Amino acid sequence: MSTTPLIHVVDDDPSMRAALLRLLDAAGFDARGYSSTGEFLLQTLPERPGCLLLDLRLPGPSGLELQAALQQRDVRLPIVFLSGHANVAASVRAMKAGAVDFLTKPVKRDILLDAIGRALERDAMQRTARQKADLLRARFESLTERQRQVFERIVAGRLNKQIADDLGVAERTVKREREQVMVKLEASSAAELGRLAELLLHPAAN
Amino acid sequence: MTAAQQAREALAERQVRVPVEFLSGLPLQELVARVAEEPPGSILIFLTQFRDRDGHPYEAFEVLRGVIKASRTPVYGAAEPFIGLGIVAGSVSSYEAKGRLIGKQVRRALAGTVPDPSDVVLEAPNRCVADARALRRWSLDERLLPHDCEKRFAEVPIWRKYWRQIALMMIVIAGQAALILALLYQRKRRRDAERAAQERRAELAHAGRLTVAGELTGAIAHEINQPLGAILSNADAGDLLLDSDGDQRDKLRAILADIRRDDLRASEVIRHLRALLGRHIVEPTEFDLNDVVDDLRSILGAEARRRGVALDMQPAQEALPILGDRIQIQQVLINLVLNAMDAVGEVPEARRTVTVSLAKGDSGAVLAVRDRGPGIPPAHQARIFDAFFSTKSNGMGLGLSITRTIVEAHAGRIRVQSDPDEGTLFQAEFPLALANGASAPHPA
Repeated sequence: MSTTPLIHVVDDDPSMRAALLRLLDAAGFDARGYSSTGEFLLQTLPERPGCLLLDLRLPGPSGLELQAALQQRDVRLPIVFLSGHANVAASVRAMKAGAVDFLTKPVKRDILLDAIGRALERDAMQRTARQKADLLRARFESLTERQRQVFERIVAGRLNKQIADDLGVAERTVKREREQVMVKLEASSAAELGRLAELLLHPAAN
Repeated sequence: MTAAQQAREALAERQVRVPVEFLSGLPLQELVARVAEEPPGSILIFLTQFRDRDGHPYEAFEVLRGVIKASRTPVYGAAEPFIGLGIVAGSVSSYEAKGRLIGKQVRRALAGTVPDPSDVVLEAPNRCVADARALRRWSLDERLLPHDCEKRFAEVPIWRKYWRQIALMMIVIAGQAALILALLYQRKRRRDAERAAQERRAELAHAGRLTVAGELTGAIAHEINQPLGAILSNADAGDLLLDSDGDQRDKLRAILADIRRDDLRASEVIRHLRALLGRHIVEPTEFDLNDVVDDLRSILGAEARRRGVALDMQPAQEALPILGDRIQIQQVLINLVLNAMDAVGEVPEARRTVTVSLAKGDSGAVLAVRDRGPGIPPAHQARIFDAFFSTKSNGMGLGLSITRTIVEAHAGRIRVQSDPDEGTLFQAEFPLALANGASAPHPA
């Protein structure tokens, strides 16, 4: 898995696309161009950090429609929109749907590269968060059935004695399982367990 | 008694004191020669001559003509028929009066009155008769003639002789002139009115184009910003390349080539817009209707994309030369296409299509714009070309009215066909321009 970011440029105008690719290349990025949303969707996205530089107006499905389609597929590539002219309605829609920025052509280099930088940053953060969540989930999945039951009750704020009653086991057994849960999830306190539970339920919130 | 003898007697009787010479019996040639010798100031009186001393017969007129031709001095005569041949004047007896006199006496005799021979009068009284032309020839003053002298061949001025006819003619000519002036004035007024109407039409069309430009702002901005954006990014890329190591000359050269191309592209868009939006002199030129579609392909394409409409523009296989104002024909196409895009604005995506096609029809070049919209209600179909008729909330109702005005000003026709299932089809037909000579191919 390559770690250099790859920037996807979707613009139907060949000279605009070429110019953007050239600029990104000169700025030291890997970049790839597509002439339509369809062309972009047809490829298998490589497992690389990156972002999407997307023209608002495209033949066939528009940039906004591609944004919606990617969300549905749970592809979390940050998007920077480019538009031929200022379009308030479209920019509001794009930003609400999570776009990093909405730029108007002609776009200045600093502004474009700054937006790309932020998009890559967000991508990196999202990736880190996702990796963390994945790791956490893997750890959680290593818990036994009994340990999971104990975990749920600790997170719910119940005491060892109450848990032992709930599960119909000795308090000593609950204590032992509780230690195992803390070790497996790499938590040091009940409060941290609560935070981890939160992460497991809503991995994207962080 | 001969005329000469009578003359001798008359001269003797009146005791004329000027020397008198008689030229009698001379052959014509000799006579003419003698006459020519007579000095100016002498008076020639031609009586008559029928025969010379050798018995050669003459006609009196023949002799007179010879004498008059040769004479250097005025010739006078004694017989009425000679007046008019060059004789200046004479105391002559009218043959006509003589005839009447004799006739009268004969009638009286036939009525039974036996005339007394002494009462019979065979000679009419002599009168003075002068030839105005001869007088003028010898510079003789008319006013010196006896007041009762009849002047013949006087040139009565034509306007006095034919004054009625001349007056009538003048009236007719004056009438005609007035009519011509009136017609010219009318023609000028009609021309002025036509020009004014054409100017108004051009003004209206221009206003229509400005309105359309407002609707196309998004597409126009896109068409200009696209190359400008590419230019800026290329320039930025070039900037970055200059700071990097290694020989970047090939890349920079490619960048400059692209910048140049995009710059031309942007200026081309602006040139088109200026032509479309500026005021221009409406001047009929010959052009290919297919070129109009090419002129507008990018801007209408951008607008279609903005609206999410599939726009298909199909030129004709052959050239379609028409005569007219290219800008106004562009306006017709824009109006019809925007109208069609409006029509498909609310329909499901599969039906959001507009097709522009050109073809050679039976009597001209046909521009067809078809949409798959909901159609025009039959009640509206008759009124859609009327000014200020609109079913759109933001419509002025001028687009189609201007369109029809332009088409008809180009001697064309526009018609509409609509069906709720099929959509609407507008067809504008323009007469084909006759090529200058059938063999001259029209530039495609």
